[in-house]
Amino acid sequence: MSEAVKVEQGTGSAALGVSAAVAGWAVPGLGHLLLRQWTKAAVYFIGVVGLAWAGLAMRGGVFGGNSPDLFDRLGFFADLGTGGLYFIAHIIQSAGPDVAHASGDYGTRLFATAGMLNLLTVLEAYELGRGRKTAGGRIR
Amino acid sequence: MNAVFSGLTHFQALAFFALVVSVLFAFLSKPVASERWKYALWSFLAFLVVAIGIGWLMYPFSQ
Repeated sequence: MSEAVKVEQGTGSAALGVSAAVAGWAVPGLGHLLLRQWTKAAVYFIGVVGLAWAGLAMRGGVFGGNSPDLFDRLGFFADLGTGGLYFIAHIIQSAGPDVAHASGDYGTRLFATAGMLNLLTVLEAYELGRGRKTAGGRIR
Repeated sequence: MNAVFSGLTHFQALAFFALVVSVLFAFLSKPVASERWKYALWSFLAFLVVAIGIGWLMYPFSQ
């Protein structure tokens, strides 16, 4: 039986949906792991963590939440989408950001993109947990 | 690992970004494996073609 069919036949609930969403936000792919979607969990974890790690390794900037600039605040929400990675970013990126070079600028985008992609996976984990998304990808 | 990513050229960074985003989009939007890989390949190629195309369009303004 495929992974998607297992979830479709399971009884979805709001609690399972919220749990999967929170877990998926904290650790990319963990929400799908709770829902026994092994392949998706692995792909989402490798993809989001890989992109975020690359962004930090390229010395991209990580936005703080207290900036008065609107675009910086949008960047903060995008970065926050990476969940736990946002809070350990300064550990991974021990040298600090360097956005004066193109590489650092790319890194900033990569980290923000990782956050946005993770939010999409969180949304999917929520829909699957609620039982509102079918194996065919349709929303009930 | 940090040394690998910090030494990427512009094109390599673009290709890595396009690859990861294409694969994740494919898994998010397509339920069947064959459809996923087809979607990922097309999306990846579209990212590269559009990025290189826009790069060429902007080239005169850099002179």
